[in-house]
Amino acid sequence: MPHSHHSESDIALRVRAIESLLAEKGIIDPATLDAIIDAYEHRIGPHNGARIVAKAWVSYDYKQRLLADGTSAIAELGLTGFSSEHMVVVENTPQVHNLVVCTLCSCYPWAILGLPPTWYKSFAYRSRAVIEPRKVLQEFGLDIPDEVEIRVWDSNADLRYLVLPERPSGTEDMSEEALADLVTRNAMIGTAKVYPPRSPSTITA
Amino acid sequence: MAIETSNECMSVAQAEILLQSGVNCRGVTNAPPKFQVGDMVKAKVMHPVTYTRLPRYVRGKVGTIAKVHGVYVFPDTIGQRLDTKPQYVYNVRFAAQDIWGPDASPKDFLHIDLFDDHLDTV
Repeated sequence: MPHSHHSESDIALRVRAIESLLAEKGIIDPATLDAIIDAYEHRIGPHNGARIVAKAWVSYDYKQRLLADGTSAIAELGLTGFSSEHMVVVENTPQVHNLVVCTLCSCYPWAILGLPPTWYKSFAYRSRAVIEPRKVLQEFGLDIPDEVEIRVWDSNADLRYLVLPERPSGTEDMSEEALADLVTRNAMIGTAKVYPPRSPSTITA
Repeated sequence: MAIETSNECMSVAQAEILLQSGVNCRGVTNAPPKFQVGDMVKAKVMHPVTYTRLPRYVRGKVGTIAKVHGVYVFPDTIGQRLDTKPQYVYNVRFAAQDIWGPDASPKDFLHIDLFDDHLDTV
């Protein structure tokens, strides 16, 4: 997509101008803005979603609760929050691949995955994910076999979606914490799978 | 305007509560759900000039109720500050071919959350 450093700084400048005006008029408190930015920079992000996924991988009971009622199961871990109030978790299997989009804007489970990536908000992703999901996934490097069902979830109402990716093979001995490190943001949107850790390369003589 | 929203400056404490607890979009209604899992429904054909959560690409298409989510407030009227109009929300499953035609994969499906006011009985 065409974008340059020039246009980014234009936007940054415009945002700063609007921010100072709102602060001068007393409509926003800069301290509140700082608190919100700090939360998304340091506390809230895809590591929250990765914890949920890893727990579901190691605990069958937790996974059942998560798929039956995402909101309550995520609340057990204290990970609910703004824009993740009503959660649905959908499971990838060898037969079904799930992909999340918001065609109307960019609805996204912020408390679980942090702020949405730029591509998730782009017109191209939002329109193409529903009409040609297989092609979009190919561009993300994911070839979904013809016989696998693709379910595209358009999160247009007030429910937010999290994909529970398949646990990669060869991870049977890994701890919950180590498993969480394997889970990426894109895997929880459905534009990637989770891969087993590469074995460390060895130095050969 | 039936719905009033505060113009007061949000404090740090209020922002922390909002981040932690979010905004509850659930509502209450005495009306029973109009549809059950497995029912066939048709997304209404409508072109309101005001806000709606019914995307154009499913209007007029027939799908199946996959899940009854319960009662939520209705963004279409809240967006106009008119009424919270609580009603049932359903996850509706559409075959991609029913939306996009025969070029779509027979194994592709769209799942979308629609409100009672968006749906007609087939």
